[in-house]
Parts: sequence; structure tokens; C-alpha cells
Amino acid sequence: MSQSTKQLQARPRGVSQWALAWRRLKKNKTAIAGLAIVGAFVVMAAFDRLVALYPPKCIVGISPECPSPAFISNGPPSLSHPFGTDITGYDVYSEIVYGARAAFLIGLGATGLAILIAVLIGLVAGNFGGWIDNLLMRVTEVFLVIPFFLLLLVFLQVVLKFSPASTGGLWIVVFVIGAFSWPGAARIIRGEVLKVREFEFIGASRQIGASSSRILFRHLFPNVLHIIIVLLTLQIATSILTEAAVSFLGFGAPGSNTWGQQMYTSSNFIAQAWWATLFPALFVTIMVMGFNLLGNGLRDALDPRLRE
Amino acid sequence: MSIIKYVLRRTLYLIPVFFGITLLVFTIERLAGDPVQLYTALNPHISEQQRQLLRQSLHLDQLIQVQYLSWLSDLFSFNLGFSFSGGSVATIIAQKIWATLELQLIGLALSLIIAIPIGVLSARRRYSALDVTITSTSLIGTSIPIFFLGVSAILIFGYNLHWFPSGGYESTLPSQYPYGNLILDHLWHLVLPTTVYTFAILAPVVLLVRSSMLEVLRQDYILAARASGLKDRTVIYRHGLRNALIPIVTYVGLYFGGLLAGAPVTETVFNWPGVGRQFVASTTELDFPVIQAVVVIITLMTLVANLITDVTYAYIDPRIRLE
Repeated sequence: MSQSTKQLQARPRGVSQWALAWRRLKKNKTAIAGLAIVGAFVVMAAFDRLVALYPPKCIVGISPECPSPAFISNGPPSLSHPFGTDITGYDVYSEIVYGARAAFLIGLGATGLAILIAVLIGLVAGNFGGWIDNLLMRVTEVFLVIPFFLLLLVFLQVVLKFSPASTGGLWIVVFVIGAFSWPGAARIIRGEVLKVREFEFIGASRQIGASSSRILFRHLFPNVLHIIIVLLTLQIATSILTEAAVSFLGFGAPGSNTWGQQMYTSSNFIAQAWWATLFPALFVTIMVMGFNLLGNGLRDALDPRLRE
Repeated sequence: MSIIKYVLRRTLYLIPVFFGITLLVFTIERLAGDPVQLYTALNPHISEQQRQLLRQSLHLDQLIQVQYLSWLSDLFSFNLGFSFSGGSVATIIAQKIWATLELQLIGLALSLIIAIPIGVLSARRRYSALDVTITSTSLIGTSIPIFFLGVSAILIFGYNLHWFPSGGYESTLPSQYPYGNLILDHLWHLVLPTTVYTFAILAPVVLLVRSSMLEVLRQDYILAARASGLKDRTVIYRHGLRNALIPIVTYVGLYFGGLLAGAPVTETVFNWPGVGRQFVASTTELDFPVIQAVVVIITLMTLVANLITDVTYAYIDPRIRLE
């Protein structure tokens, strides 16, 4: 017994597919740059009080929590306000730092919902085929064809008009973006399931009497997981971008402190104070770029077929 | 399967999709509340009796299924109804279409002209410093929000340098026209929005051309063409690019489908009087006749564009018909 264990240990252990993917990812400079950007934002969101210069929603020079330096509305970038102040007198840099949490909430929340729906529809449609597949794909087509961005604006206007602006406004935005963002991913996952379903090991496990839910979750799901991870990363970027655009047009959650909302409140004063609009927009760009670079790197790393 | 049969089958697919969408749009309107309330929101002096009359003329006293069907039949007879703020919806949209088409078509043409050569170059020099530069620039390009580009362009070229107007379709006063010419004035206003819009849609096309070209250059017939001693240029452009453009056809097809939606963000940033900005304004006021008309028209155009793309495919590539 102990002899055989020793023999087993002596043999070098095979490297898992995930470790191989990580090795490929590490070699990709742009992907690592993306990972570094995302990591920096995670730190920023987690320790926002430490990274920011002033407390949240603090009118510098007036509010008791931040009495100095002197109050200045639409003040230009300076040593005490690296990105200037906005019309209310908030420090633009600090508000951007506090906006990072909202950006993660939007990115992860909306994407989580969208990918959950996409995975369910993709797995079920691809695995069962027949009329279920046909029905689900027709529904997906409806959602693919509708002008997503326009309906998003209408939905938000209707919902936010009837739910008082107070609490949960941002969650509504997150929910609506997520509820409309799944169809592309659902199609891709279904296509991948159709491919994996034809592999011999699936037929083999069916032969030995594996239940269909076992096949679905133990065999199909892990084999399309790499696609899901890539879709997830790229969708986070898209969700953040969508929320920023929606808020910029004035359809965001009124009380929330997202970068889009900051741009919306400052965009009327662009001629006097460009910093209050452009710096939040710049941070949207950097964060979206981070997730896009990472997502593309993950695609190359997780799907070696794309690289021959 | 013959091509006619294929077209018929694709058309039949569209019917349930179209009805699904109209149902969705209709439901959103009814979720938003009583249309009479919305119609009369701006007029506090209206009497209950007038409300009842309005209710009847809008068929709101009928069953909800009947209301949906009568709305559909109105749609099919091109009766788009009246905006809550007055004026027929058809006229409102017709007035905005030209400005939207201008921006969209110039943007599409310019982006294709710029993106295709860059994408091909990138694919030919795969993994070279040039290719890495192009792909990473494009990836960064896809991340830049259009409002960031637009606002920066207005600040730099409008407010600071005064080279171009910061927005609008044309100057308000004839005395402001450059050389007293309206056409020059309009072109002058066009520069910033079209440039920004072109840059915003450029990056994805570059990446698409590149990946499609790489896919084609890997094929055996390219190797065969090379082996038979054809010039590199001929292989790339005659044999490679022609086939690599098929995904671009899909892209252009889908683009045409969404064309009329305009670019709501670009049009708003540049104060451009197109359908996109109109839609944003109408949505802010919950002006449902306009909202529904725009959504349904865009949906129909997308469906038709999809159909045409599919059929073009089947025509170009007979293998698709066999599926």
C-alpha cells in the first residue's frame, strides 16, 4: 500500500488546464496590463476612504467634515484638488474614488444577471434541442433584434418615474441592464454546448446511465466554463459603458454616485469646468479598457484553438 | 433546397419575432400608466368629460386585446398616430431622418475606408510590432466611450481653438455662414460629429477585418494560390480579401438595420437634430406614440436587413442553403 503511494508521488503530477491557461495569460503583456488596471480599481473601491482626499459628498470649505481649504465652486485642478471641484464644491477626485464601488456594483451585478440567464438558456437549449431549443432561440432572437439601448432608456424612464428616487435606484438600473444583456452570450453558449454534446465522453456517460441533470452540470457546464468566463469579463466592460451612457443622457438613478451620474450633473458646465466632466469619463474609459484587455487575454489563454 | 424556398422559410421565421416585439413595446407603454393622463398632463384645465371623449377616441374603453390589435392595424396602414406634444409622429420622424442618415452614412463609409486597409495590413504582418500596435490600439479604442471623445473634441476644437462650431446642424444667422454660403456652413458643422462618430465605430471593424483575414489566409486555397506563383498582392487582395469581406457584409447589414436609431449619444452631445436625439427627448417626456413608432420602425428595418443579409449569404455561398 505505502509502496504504491510512493510510486504515485514520485511521478510528476500533470498540470491542469487552468494552470496552462494561467501560464499563457502571464505571457500576454496586454492581458497583464488589463489585470493590473482591474486590480488597481479593486484596491480603490475597497479602501476608498483611504484613497480619497475628502469624505464622500463633502462640500469642501463648508461641510463640517472638511472645513479646509476654502470653498470653491468649479475650481480648476490644484494641489488641494488634483482634479478640481465641481459646481457644488465637491472634490472631483474624491467623488471619482467613491464612484469606483458603484462601477463594480453595476459591472458585476448586471453581468451576473445577464450571464446567469444566458447560461441557463444556452445550456437548456443546447442540451435538449428540439422544440425547447426552437422556442428559446426564437425568444433570444426577439431580444437580439430589439433596439436594446433605446428600450433601456424607455424602461428606466418608466420605472424611475414611478419608483421614488430615494433608495434602490441604482439596483433598478443594474437589473434592467442585466435583463437585456443576455441574448448574445446565450447564443454563443448554446453553440458551444451543441459542439461539446457530440463529444464521445458525453455519449459514454449517457450509456452508463448518467442522469440528464448530471450530464448538464457535471459534464457540459465545466466544458463551456472557459467561454463563460470570457463572456463575463467582456460583459462587465459593456455594462459599465452602458450605465455611463445612460446616466450621461439623464436616465440614470438620480441619487446614485456613479461616474455617469457625475458627468451628467457636470456636463452643463463644460465650458467653465471641463475637469468635472472629463475626469469621470476618463475613469470610465480606463476601467472599461482594463476589463476589455483582460477579457481578450483570457480568450486567447483559455481557447488555444484560436491561436492554432 | 432552392433559394426561393430558403427565402420563404427565413421570412416565416420573422413573423413570430415581429409580433413578440410589438407585444413587448405595447406592454411597456401600458405599464407606464394611463395614456389619457400622459396626454393631458400639460393641460390642467381639462374636464372629466373631455377625458372620457379622449378615452373613447383612443379606443381605451375597449378590451386590452382589442386595443393591441387596433394599434397593430394602425401600424400596418402607416398610421403612426400623434405625439403627446402635438404633431403627427410620421412628420416628426421624417423631419429628423435626413440629419441622422447624413451622420450615419458618412460615418459608415469613412470607417470602412479606413478600417479595411488597416485590418488587412495587421493580418499580413501578424505578431509583428505593427500588428501588436494596431490590435492594442483598437482594443483601447473599443473602450473609449463616445461621450468622452465627443466632449473632448468640443472642448479642444470648439471652445479652445474655435476651429469648428461646438454643435448644431447649421448657424442660426445667415451672417455667420462662412463666405455667406449655407452649404459650407453645414459642412463646417458636420466635421466634428462625423469625425467623432467615425472614430467611435472604427475600432471594432479593424478587429473584425483582421480576424476574418487571418481566418482566410489560413485556408488551403491561399496556399495553392501562393504555390502556383501568384504575386503576393494578387493572393491577398483577389483571393484573400474577397472572401474575408463576408463577415463585413453581415456587419454592414446589421448596421443598416439599426441605422435609423441614429446615435443617441453622439447626436445629443453635438446637439444634432436627428432621430436619436428626438428619441431621447421623447423618452424624457414619455411621449409614447413617438417612442413606439421609432422602436417598431427600427425593429422592422433590422429584421429586413437580417433577411437581406441571410439571402445574400445564401446567394454568395451555396453551402449555407443546405443546412
